[in-house]
Amino acid sequence: MIRFENISLTLNHRPLFRKLSVEVPAGGRLIISGESGSGKTTLLKMLLGFVFPDEGKVFIDKQELRLRNVWQLRQKMAYVSQEMQIGRGPVDRFVREILRFKNNRSINYDQGKMLRLMDDFQLGRDTISKNLDDLSGGELQRVAIIVTLLLDRSVYLLDEVTSALDQSLKEIIVHYFSNLKEKTLIISSHDTIWHEQGFPILNLGKNGSSS
Amino acid sequence: MEAAPDIGLMRLLAAFGLLVVPLALSVFMKLGIARQLFGAAGRMTGQLFLVAILLIYLFRWDNPWLNVAWVIIMMFFACFSAMAGSKLSFSRFFLPVFLAYFAGTGLVLLFFNKVIVNYDNIFTARLMVVVGGMMLGNSLNSTIIGVSHYYESVRKESKRYLYLLSLGASQQEALLPFFRDALLAAMRPFLANMATMGIVSLPGMMTGQILGGANPETAIKYQIAIILAIFTALSISVTLSIFFTSRKAFDAYGILKADLFRG
Repeated sequence: MIRFENISLTLNHRPLFRKLSVEVPAGGRLIISGESGSGKTTLLKMLLGFVFPDEGKVFIDKQELRLRNVWQLRQKMAYVSQEMQIGRGPVDRFVREILRFKNNRSINYDQGKMLRLMDDFQLGRDTISKNLDDLSGGELQRVAIIVTLLLDRSVYLLDEVTSALDQSLKEIIVHYFSNLKEKTLIISSHDTIWHEQGFPILNLGKNGSSS
Repeated sequence: MEAAPDIGLMRLLAAFGLLVVPLALSVFMKLGIARQLFGAAGRMTGQLFLVAILLIYLFRWDNPWLNVAWVIIMMFFACFSAMAGSKLSFSRFFLPVFLAYFAGTGLVLLFFNKVIVNYDNIFTARLMVVVGGMMLGNSLNSTIIGVSHYYESVRKESKRYLYLLSLGASQQEALLPFFRDALLAAMRPFLANMATMGIVSLPGMMTGQILGGANPETAIKYQIAIILAIFTALSISVTLSIFFTSRKAFDAYGILKADLFRG
């Protein structure tokens, strides 16, 4: 469960949110819509404790996001943004490094699962030995998504993940996530294909209003 | 081998006579650097004469405390000028970088003086002031390059950093790749320089020693030792600088603070 409670935030002298309240139940979906600069990414970053509201509270699974639990609550989230430089070196090594983080040691590296996910997202199997620097934007995007899926988090924050992809890849990604019934999805996107899924939409307007 | 003969005052003026060529270039090509050239040459001459006077007394008195104090003062100014060339905030970085540099260079300088050269008095002006000065000029810039690279890349690639945090990395784990890149950025130029030494350029220390009457064999041994010492000193300084500054550069949530850079 995710809840924003009376969130207000002014960033660089611009009011982004005023008394914004939204709740997404566990396993629920929410599309955040709005022009660029309307605060879509900022709202997602708030859930990770990367940005803080001037007023109001953020709840994750009934716990208020605070300094003392931020590092632990981040473990529930997976965050993927567009056009990310995620690392260097071979894909395989990168994935193993992520799984060697202290917090992730309980997860075994299952290369079979990795390869199946690569098939699902139409990445050639040879991608696993390629260098991250040599991947195209679309390939990198899918690797970033696959890594979060290996971690099996309960909340997925997808920040314009499909905007740089072609139509068939957009469809693959949207359908994949739409079928993850038990995951909570919070999506920021302009893509109509997300809007066609019938998920609830939060419109961030100008001047901090929302509907 | 004999020491090189002194250069008389009139002959030194002949060296200034060489400037006729760049000056003429400046006039004919409208480079507009004549004033700057006079200024720079004048400053260099004044500063070096002052240093010569200081060195004469430092060598005459050869007081260990004074020699160490001189090295610290040089470090202070070197740190100041190297940081002025970077975008890092003075108030946040000057002290930790200075301390890291002092520890890194200080340790290696003592090792050089005691283990490699093995003089009876390792605080003698000949070693402290001369070798210390040599190390300073070379390793501080690399240190600042490393530290700037670290913070600038965390800022520029903040998506990557935040992505790693969201993947469950602790702050240290998420910063590790940036630390790796910073070390490489600091070390690589010096490594390239090391690999061409003696072919592309004859190093200053060696030239000085040979002119001073040392035989080339001794001169190259000193040169090799000092280059290795400088490289080690800069490795320690970069590591410690990042270590000393990293804790305070991020807030409790792991986010890079905004006031690390000037302007």
